[in-house]
Amino acid sequence: MLAAVTTVLAVWLGGIWGPAVLAGIAVLLPAVAGRMLGRLLRTSLLLSLPIAISVLVVNLFFYPAGQQILFQLGPIRGTTEGLSFALETLARIGAISGAITLFYLTTSPSELVLDLERRGVSPRVAFVALASVQTVPAMVERAATITAAQRARGLDTEGSIWRRVRGVLPLAGPVLLGSVAQVEERTMALESRAFTRPGRRTLLWQPPDSLPQRIARWLLLILVPALFVARIAGWL
Amino acid sequence: MPSLALESVAHVYARGNVRALDGVSLHIEAGERLAIVGQNGSGKTTLVRHLDGLLRPSAGRVLLDGTDVAKRTVAQLAHSVGLVFQDPESQIFAGSVRAEVEFGPRNLGMRAAALRAAVDEALSAVGLAGDERTNPYDLGSARQKLLALASVLAMQTPVLVLDEPTTGQDLRGVATVRAVIEAAHAAGRTVIAISHDMEFVASAFDRVLVMRAGRLILDGPPASVFAEPAWEALRSTYLEPTLAARAGARLGLGATPTDAALIAALRGSEPGPA
Amino acid sequence: MLTIESVTYRYAGAPRPSLYDVSIDLGKGEVVGVVGASEAGKTTLCLVASGLAPRTVGGVLDGRILLDGAETAPLAMHQLAERVGIVFASPATQLSGVAGTVYEEIAFGPMNLGLPRAEVIARTEGALAALGIEDLAARDPSRLSGGQQQLVAIGGLLAMRPTHLVLDEPTAQLDPAGTRLVADALARLAAGGASILVAEHKTDLLAAICTRVVVLEAGRIALAGPAAEVLSDPRLPELGVAAPSFVRLRRAATAAGLAKAAVVRLAEAVR
Repeated sequence: MLAAVTTVLAVWLGGIWGPAVLAGIAVLLPAVAGRMLGRLLRTSLLLSLPIAISVLVVNLFFYPAGQQILFQLGPIRGTTEGLSFALETLARIGAISGAITLFYLTTSPSELVLDLERRGVSPRVAFVALASVQTVPAMVERAATITAAQRARGLDTEGSIWRRVRGVLPLAGPVLLGSVAQVEERTMALESRAFTRPGRRTLLWQPPDSLPQRIARWLLLILVPALFVARIAGWL
Repeated sequence: MPSLALESVAHVYARGNVRALDGVSLHIEAGERLAIVGQNGSGKTTLVRHLDGLLRPSAGRVLLDGTDVAKRTVAQLAHSVGLVFQDPESQIFAGSVRAEVEFGPRNLGMRAAALRAAVDEALSAVGLAGDERTNPYDLGSARQKLLALASVLAMQTPVLVLDEPTTGQDLRGVATVRAVIEAAHAAGRTVIAISHDMEFVASAFDRVLVMRAGRLILDGPPASVFAEPAWEALRSTYLEPTLAARAGARLGLGATPTDAALIAALRGSEPGPA
Repeated sequence: MLTIESVTYRYAGAPRPSLYDVSIDLGKGEVVGVVGASEAGKTTLCLVASGLAPRTVGGVLDGRILLDGAETAPLAMHQLAERVGIVFASPATQLSGVAGTVYEEIAFGPMNLGLPRAEVIARTEGALAALGIEDLAARDPSRLSGGQQQLVAIGGLLAMRPTHLVLDEPTAQLDPAGTRLVADALARLAAGGASILVAEHKTDLLAAICTRVVVLEAGRIALAGPAAEVLSDPRLPELGVAAPSFVRLRRAATAAGLAKAAVVRLAEAVR
């Protein structure tokens, strides 16, 4: 919730200081509270570095409305307006990527999915979302076993490119065929536990939801249209 | 025919920091029939995967005919050691039984008449000769296992390693596996098998290795591994001696790991003319 | 009481039926073993008994299946799931894959049934206790041994409170310790009054827990009767079934011409 609102606000607020303050409140404070400031900064920087660099370079040197020249590098000129715009955009990017990273670091996928299910998402969708994550390690292990079995039959995985291309079918084949066979068995196992019963299912676990959290969520929801109005009215 | 040896081999799986093999030393002569038993996780699979280079020792050496195999690739070692995996679905990919069996020997360089002969021989050894053109996925799981066996048999390696060959097999399937082992042994090949079936182990092999937590705790012929003095060690790893062994001990007849041994001992202890 | 009455079943697209005119009763507290050569129809019988054939697997079923006298044909799979549970050979594919703990895994079924929360909890804890695996409740199912995973799979089915349990080679992929775990669990459940149909190659296991045994051959019932009788029947080997160890031993002794006294001594020793 926080991430979504922060993102929307970051786009709307004008100027450099708007997004920066926003980032301060909505991203850095919670990060400090959750003791993950270091991880947050590292991950967030990693994510946004490529785009940040290109934004800076493009706008500094190629901002169309740029008049006031800061400095000159051969035929290319850096403008003040360009720099200003670049910094604004960077502030926004910082706020958005920070918010997204905070979300990613603090949310467990299974808890999120279960909570969504509680609020009305279909149990089958929830199941697919969760199961897809869980099957990855098993598939990786199976792929390793298949590779080992074929190597034991003389498949050369250490040779030339041409040899390795020839190895694709014996390696991919069992993975795919086996997956299909497993899906069948899995489906039967699920059906025998009433997975196909229409309707909602009982959920055991409820994510902790305190009053302050609920108030905070409502406040955030009100904030977006409020700021929107304020922007239009020219106050911000 | 080569011998095999492990010298103080240890193997640690990086991710779990698990010592899957803890200083195993072992010498296997050419032509031996050797069974490896133990709980899942005792290191049986880890050990046999060192024999064809799929796994490399974290410490110690693996020797084939006296030479360290460290420098040889798995593809090269596949000429000497054929390993049949437990789950046939880990390897089946071809559209026909014949094509599936051809894969291994082809990788080893066999062609034309030699290839045909090797495949024909392997298919009849496991009873799949009439199913050459069948799609492997149309075979039941027990026959798929026999197909996997044939696909490695056709490679005609001097050493044959089988991972749980009798699991899921009916009476005829088990008889087929026994016959394959006998034929390989008669041809001078070394046969190594991992198994949970103590009756099979006691009757089809000359030597039994018992593993627990990455170590060898017993090593000897079935008569000694299933004899009473070894029971404590066996039971410490949740293995039971064969019924024949237990009956023989109860009747005070010495070591009788197999039905045949027990009956011979009973006959020997009968009063009256021989 | 589960009644399979003159059932003939053919898989979709198969040239021939896999089961011919098979009739079996599974009464309360009975443990019926099913043996036979590979592809004799053991798995098919399990799928038919649980309703997965023809509902999920497709195919054509002739004959009737009755649960406590009522036809099961009009029931959907999720309705049958509460009455008949099925366990397969491979532990890993039976895990739902979405449960972080054994507790959640076992609760999966009752949760799907939409039962009140208190009921879900009661059933989950009941299943854990019935199998004696309370200490595994907080563990990650994907990290358990094969035998433990099978117990979790059985627990997941018990939580559905089925009246009948069908198991298709439940110990096939297990090591001796795992096999013992499952066998003991089944014996305990049977002693508690569960009705169990179990297909296996391991006749020693069946000899220990079954009241009756059925032998399938090419889709038909070749032998059926009390466990001790069927498992000592001399026709088992030609039907592709290995007799239990003590039967084999006794038979070999007699065949070897041992004096009757010796055979008796032997029989005593293997008891």
